[in-house]
Amino acid sequence: MNLLEGLQILDLTDEKAVFCSKLLADLGAEVIKIERPGGDSSRWLGPFWKNSPHPERSLSFWYNNSSKLGITLNLEVKEGQEIFRQLVNKTDVIIETFPPEYAKKLKLDYQSLVEINQRLILASITGFGQTGPYRQYKSCDIVASATGGQMYICGAPDTPPLKPYGEQSYFVASLFAAIGILVALRERHQSGKGQHIDISLQEAVAATLGHVFTRYFYDGAVSQRQGYYDRDGSFCLLPCQDGYIFLTIDREWDILVNLLDNEGMAEDLKDNRWQDSQYRRQHFDHVVEMLTRWTKRHTRAQLFLLGQLMRLPWAPVNSLPEMVNSIQLSERNYFVPVEHPELASSEGQLDVVAQFIGQLCLINQATNGEGREVGDKLLRYHYPGVPYVMTGKYMMRRAPLIGEHNTQIYQGRLGLSSEDLKRLKANKVI
Amino acid sequence: MNKEALQGIRILDFTWLLAGPYATRTLADFGAEVIKVQSEKTASGAEDNTTGYFNTWNRGKLSITLNMSHPQARNIVLKLVKISDVVIENFTPRVMPNWGLSYNKLAEVKPDIIMLSMSAMGQTGPWRDFAALGHTIQAFSGITYLTSFPYKIAPPSPGNDGGQTGQILPLGLGYAYADPVAGLFAVFTVLAALEYRDKMGQGQHIDISEYEAFCSSLGVAILDYTVNDNIASPQGNNPGRSQAAPYGCYRCQGDDRWCVIALSTEEEWQAFCQVLRYPAWSKEERFSNFSARKRHVPELDKLIEEWTIKHTPEEVMGLLQEAGISAGVVENVKDLANDPQLIARKFFLQIEHPVLGKSVSDNTPIKLSRTPARIRGAAPLLGQDNDYVYRGLLGMSEEEVSRYIAEGVIY
Repeated sequence: MNLLEGLQILDLTDEKAVFCSKLLADLGAEVIKIERPGGDSSRWLGPFWKNSPHPERSLSFWYNNSSKLGITLNLEVKEGQEIFRQLVNKTDVIIETFPPEYAKKLKLDYQSLVEINQRLILASITGFGQTGPYRQYKSCDIVASATGGQMYICGAPDTPPLKPYGEQSYFVASLFAAIGILVALRERHQSGKGQHIDISLQEAVAATLGHVFTRYFYDGAVSQRQGYYDRDGSFCLLPCQDGYIFLTIDREWDILVNLLDNEGMAEDLKDNRWQDSQYRRQHFDHVVEMLTRWTKRHTRAQLFLLGQLMRLPWAPVNSLPEMVNSIQLSERNYFVPVEHPELASSEGQLDVVAQFIGQLCLINQATNGEGREVGDKLLRYHYPGVPYVMTGKYMMRRAPLIGEHNTQIYQGRLGLSSEDLKRLKANKVI
Repeated sequence: MNKEALQGIRILDFTWLLAGPYATRTLADFGAEVIKVQSEKTASGAEDNTTGYFNTWNRGKLSITLNMSHPQARNIVLKLVKISDVVIENFTPRVMPNWGLSYNKLAEVKPDIIMLSMSAMGQTGPWRDFAALGHTIQAFSGITYLTSFPYKIAPPSPGNDGGQTGQILPLGLGYAYADPVAGLFAVFTVLAALEYRDKMGQGQHIDISEYEAFCSSLGVAILDYTVNDNIASPQGNNPGRSQAAPYGCYRCQGDDRWCVIALSTEEEWQAFCQVLRYPAWSKEERFSNFSARKRHVPELDKLIEEWTIKHTPEEVMGLLQEAGISAGVVENVKDLANDPQLIARKFFLQIEHPVLGKSVSDNTPIKLSRTPARIRGAAPLLGQDNDYVYRGLLGMSEEEVSRYIAEGVIY
């Protein structure tokens, strides 16, 4: 998709917002990732290709930097800053995640940058934002999850608070920042001026808490951890023959009792007193016990399809492979093939051949949509794509190798000579 | 005063519940004119204009009433489409076509219209008609299963014996997180489509799958599976792929009070020991370097908790952060409402509603320096903008409006 074609972005992010520029690259913006000479430290974040740590084989780097260009530049030396100023002059957007004081020291703060380019849109993503008493405080995903109110309400009443799987604070902060960038871009068409976007991980998490604030500000209710079932009696996770099922049980009560009754398992739940949702809440343990007897006689697939047939929002509690292999995702081409020719050359070649010969079964997997293909000395992997269908065909390029586009950008874009490049390399600027 | 960033953008809003209204609220926060299409017949539950929920997700929007099941409603919608930039809906995929309002029909009257359809599973595929709440999406995606502790937890009641079957019990997220996530993708794609329309003169139909939107939050784990066949498993509060120890959630003084701590460098470890005033154990061989600490996590965590339990989480966070260490209070909603950082950054704002009175709402976390979000006020009352929209924007006469009301079209 080339919806944002022509939009130029410099990406100075670490893992906190590396997904922000990926969102924009997915829509056709030209994103230049700037790494320190030798490569960004996020290249050492696992998991790795074939589980072997290597800066060109970090899957988290691959995923978050696909479709970007990559250059190296030392921003801590004068010559590097000089080159950076030239890049700033030609860009629309900069996305960065430096601590506010550090950015100022390197003259990467908004005041310094806007002097170079008044159309510049700068997005800064930090743990607690650019202002306020905690602005200097350090953060990471678990700190954002805690201070944003997410952890307290995940887990069960008898467990400690629980951080949701993955790096959800980075994910939503990146989404908010990307929206901020497009809002600022739209405004720039009118005013000709850029602006500074200030995103706090803590606020990004807090802003996605759904009804938690509403319940508090209107009813004074402090949401608690509730684990397997909602204490208001509206849903629960129950065991089946092959795992767990997510069931809604409040508005669906009559249908549910009918389903149990069809199998002679409704017993006292048919009594009138169970019609009252208040009563059900008070005797929730009994409801759960009766439902569990029923769910344990079935598989997840039987139950969730039965529910969906009745237009009930039920779902199997899927493992990750079950999600990846779901027919809905493959029918909608959610996964996109990305070629990794670099793995088939030089040192990677032996690995590939070994894999090719040793695991021929992979070819079968590839044909039944398992997500991996090996052949023609070319490795092609299936990446999760974008969750929308828009104008144009969606394509994804693998993440850049360290300094892969130095020549293209420094010579082609900035007009430096190959001698300049050699000198900069020798001086460890690039 | 600067103009608002999205001033002049008009959005015809057919959304309901959470994901859709969350999206159009964000657009309204930055100055778009959002016209919410409602009806006496459907304005109940989450769509009852005088509830806190409605006020939260629909602030700053306009409301008109239009009885979509009346045959004459369609023509009025098409007139509104003609003067709008964007139409957003989050029904199941058959609803808009059933009303004769598919994208193709809208594009006939307004060729560059942008229509966004957001549904649980997307507009195509065998599961397209599935019903779903945020929690449903979370279960499908794998995050409900993955958000748990990597060991068996005692079942909370006799009804649930997952522990005995030898499985890790799924816990999942305690709230409908998938809805705001889908809403954010909706805002993002609408803005990109506007950018494209202004450049190329073309509208489009955007098809968002909430399921896929949420799967995107698990991108790295998915890739680890498609590339390496590694199967993600619940991590509890373990650091996962980041190298850190000590790391986790520690019990503090008070009832259900906790603080998270995350150390990744040797420098931080030294600072940490200093904050704890160098207890004897901190000098032991088994904690002398990172890999040693990593090997003795349970013992280390226990010793640290002996310290945290003597302090409030606010004290722990303050002491550690002042020493340059990542730490944070596990805040409940009451803590958030009183959080000095959130208050200093004006994360909360007061909204005055004609029926509900004064109430507090969370602000947008998107802080723009020159054209910040400007919340226009409370959610609308049902049909409060009928006059402005039908007579003002569409130029209907008073008689016309009266006739539509009498015939139950504007209802």
